[in-house]
Amino acid sequence: MSESKSPYLLSMSGITKRYGGVRALENVSFETQRGSIHALLGENGAGKSTLIKILSGVVLPDSGDIKLDGKLASFANPQQANDLGVSCIFQELSLLPDLTVADNIGITRPPRKFGMIDYRAQRRIAEEALAWVGGENIDPMETVSNLSLSRRQMVEIAKALARNPKILILDEATSALTAADVDKVFKMLHRLRDEGMAIIYISHRMPEIAELADTCTVYRNGTKVETFRNGTKSDSAVVEMMIGREYSSVYPAKSNRPAATKPILKVTNFSWNDELNGINLEMRPGEIVGLGGLDGQGQRQLQLGLFGTLIGASGSVEINGDRVRLNSPKVAKSDEIGIALVPEDRKYEGLMLSMTVRENLSFAAVEKMSRMGVVDTRAEEAAIDEMVEILKIKADGIDGPVGALSGGNQQKVVIGKWLMTKPRIILLNDPTRGIDVGTKQEIYHLLQELAAEGCAILLYSTDYDELIGCCDRVLVMYDGRVVRTLAGNELNETNLVSAALNLPEQAAVRPEAKKIQGALL
Amino acid sequence: MSVSGVIARQFDRATLIAFGCVIVLLLIGAMVEPAFLSPKYLIQQLHTASFLGVVASGVMLVILLGHIDLSIPWTIGVGGMMATGATGFLGPELGITLAVPFGVLCGALIGTVNGLGVAYLRAPAMIFTLGMNAVAQGLMVYHTGGFAPQDRATEFMRELAVGHLIPGVPNPLLLWIILGAAIVFVLNRTVLGRRIYAVGNQERSVFLSGVDTRKVILICFIFSGACAALTGVLLAGWANRSYQAMGDPYLLPTIAAIILGGTNVLGGRGKYVGTIAGVILITILQSMLSVVQPQRYFAQLGVDIPADTFRQVVFGAVIIGMLLIYGRQQLVR
Repeated sequence: MSESKSPYLLSMSGITKRYGGVRALENVSFETQRGSIHALLGENGAGKSTLIKILSGVVLPDSGDIKLDGKLASFANPQQANDLGVSCIFQELSLLPDLTVADNIGITRPPRKFGMIDYRAQRRIAEEALAWVGGENIDPMETVSNLSLSRRQMVEIAKALARNPKILILDEATSALTAADVDKVFKMLHRLRDEGMAIIYISHRMPEIAELADTCTVYRNGTKVETFRNGTKSDSAVVEMMIGREYSSVYPAKSNRPAATKPILKVTNFSWNDELNGINLEMRPGEIVGLGGLDGQGQRQLQLGLFGTLIGASGSVEINGDRVRLNSPKVAKSDEIGIALVPEDRKYEGLMLSMTVRENLSFAAVEKMSRMGVVDTRAEEAAIDEMVEILKIKADGIDGPVGALSGGNQQKVVIGKWLMTKPRIILLNDPTRGIDVGTKQEIYHLLQELAAEGCAILLYSTDYDELIGCCDRVLVMYDGRVVRTLAGNELNETNLVSAALNLPEQAAVRPEAKKIQGALL
Repeated sequence: MSVSGVIARQFDRATLIAFGCVIVLLLIGAMVEPAFLSPKYLIQQLHTASFLGVVASGVMLVILLGHIDLSIPWTIGVGGMMATGATGFLGPELGITLAVPFGVLCGALIGTVNGLGVAYLRAPAMIFTLGMNAVAQGLMVYHTGGFAPQDRATEFMRELAVGHLIPGVPNPLLLWIILGAAIVFVLNRTVLGRRIYAVGNQERSVFLSGVDTRKVILICFIFSGACAALTGVLLAGWANRSYQAMGDPYLLPTIAAIILGGTNVLGGRGKYVGTIAGVILITILQSMLSVVQPQRYFAQLGVDIPADTFRQVVFGAVIIGMLLIYGRQQLVR
């Protein structure tokens, strides 16, 4: 490892950035060393992302200095930042979906031969990079759009590493990963740290930070709150620093309602292609049912199928005892059935980004607020205002495009859009992915309230804590089947992990399960 | 929201610039020929503009969806030729009374095929509608070659194209005003309007919001076909006869007018007022080029260019120039 005059590889001081009148960062400093993992914590909008964007040359600060190895450095554009050895993996996936994995990994600096891209070398580089992150089972010649979200994120990480960075930044880069992939990535990050790389890590998942980080810095409202060694503060103390107020338990109490009535939804032998194999499912009003398992075991397809989008799905679906044919989302959301779906990808499946928050909120229910196709604007406005109030959506932006809101507020708009249809069955696909703690908590409370009002909720989540904290029971899926149902005391992380791997029921004790998980995948 | 707020919302930057260009053009024209500012000339221009305005109304909805309708030249032709030739299909009695609706219906039929192809068969609109244009052309050539059809406009068609139901307001202009008002209402106040913008924005989200997006697309294509055919009917009345290539000069001006009016070519954004501005702008530009005859100035410099050729070049260049100045896509986010 090379010697340097400054103890810090990177130090930023006096960084200020404003967007119009909005203060994103105010006189912020940040230092990090070689061979360390430094976690940035804070709610959405705290300024973490802006800081990272400045460091990767995407955004120019209004004032402030950035020093590399004690020398003043300029990060005027992404190219420069790249050349200085900063590589960033952003929250938004930046892969080109129609190119191959190898093309994507090599895109910034493709190897050349006679002025043309040397595909063989590019493929080799891709294979090495993938092996490095633990994604050796990803085919470099596969088209990116054919990969699952988790696999794509692995490619993204490999792409960043292929540039041999000195400083690696991961901005919410694990939020789309399955538990098994997270494990691999963590091992890799520890290795890279030991080899002397400086790693900056942003995540909303507290347990990950506890496991991974050496140092933590908390930001709030564009200012730095504190830097401390990992493990010296309790989780709730950290969260209090982040939200600036006292913090009660993350998950609201479950209601323990007696599940007395008949099921509102009964699914029998539901199958589709090879991806869903004979699913049976019953949900009663007031119940929150979780879907667990590794990513890509048919959870998404099951929800899409119940929402009427899968052509050729077989099996029977009964609503309140009546057999129904769910052949389009239009049928699924009709008054007689009342199913709502909060989809996986809020930007491209849930929202019309350049339309206003108002237009997005009322979109699914607008026909109910109109007569002969003409919208009753007064009724619409009233209903929207009510929803904005209930969901505490940031009100100053509701006449602006929904794309301008933070991720958490966008997700609230998607949920609000469906609440306006007064659904009886709500399907949610990983609704808290990439969302800050405060908003997560609001969503958990909302789910309990909806259940208390008699909704049946089917929640798919990649976060096991969330399934344990929110659900009355959890169906664990594997290879398109429900392999286990966990409820009550059985609903714990050990069982969730072992069931997700489809291990026999008794075999798993916690540490073993983790090991097996690492070894298997 | 207040009424003035609603009106202000309709006038975005592109619309204001387009209207600004109209005024500048008129002032330049007036320096050469003061008659450019006379009410008579202006009404005459609006009269001409309404033919373009009616086609553009339909195509705009299709563009808002993020699609395109390139079948308009021959849909205009179909509208005109089927209206004048209606007697050949419906008999001498009905053919006269129903000439106009028959022409428009034939256009709507072409639109239906376009809509079914794009929405249900998922064919790319650009190639599908271009193909339909060729099909329509072929059918019309066959139609004229086959049995020497009637190509004279009926009395009613003439009246519709050149008469004045309200003194001082040519009928096509009146028609365009009514059509325009209806579209503004649909786009701003109805469920359908909301869905048109939304489909152009993010079709997946619309589908997953429980909306039959295919129906929305089909409706817009049918409307586009009907509007183009109505223009054909008006043009036939105006010229007192229909002829084969009557729609050919309309493709570029229609799309240019919509885009110059601020509608996003990729769909999702655009105001009807902008399209009105674009249509008037294109019409005035065409008229100026034929009246002012700028090639004369070049002739003085010793460069001799035939008038027609020159007009085409300048027209195309001006449209490209204006697009570069303000019609480019703004970066979102």
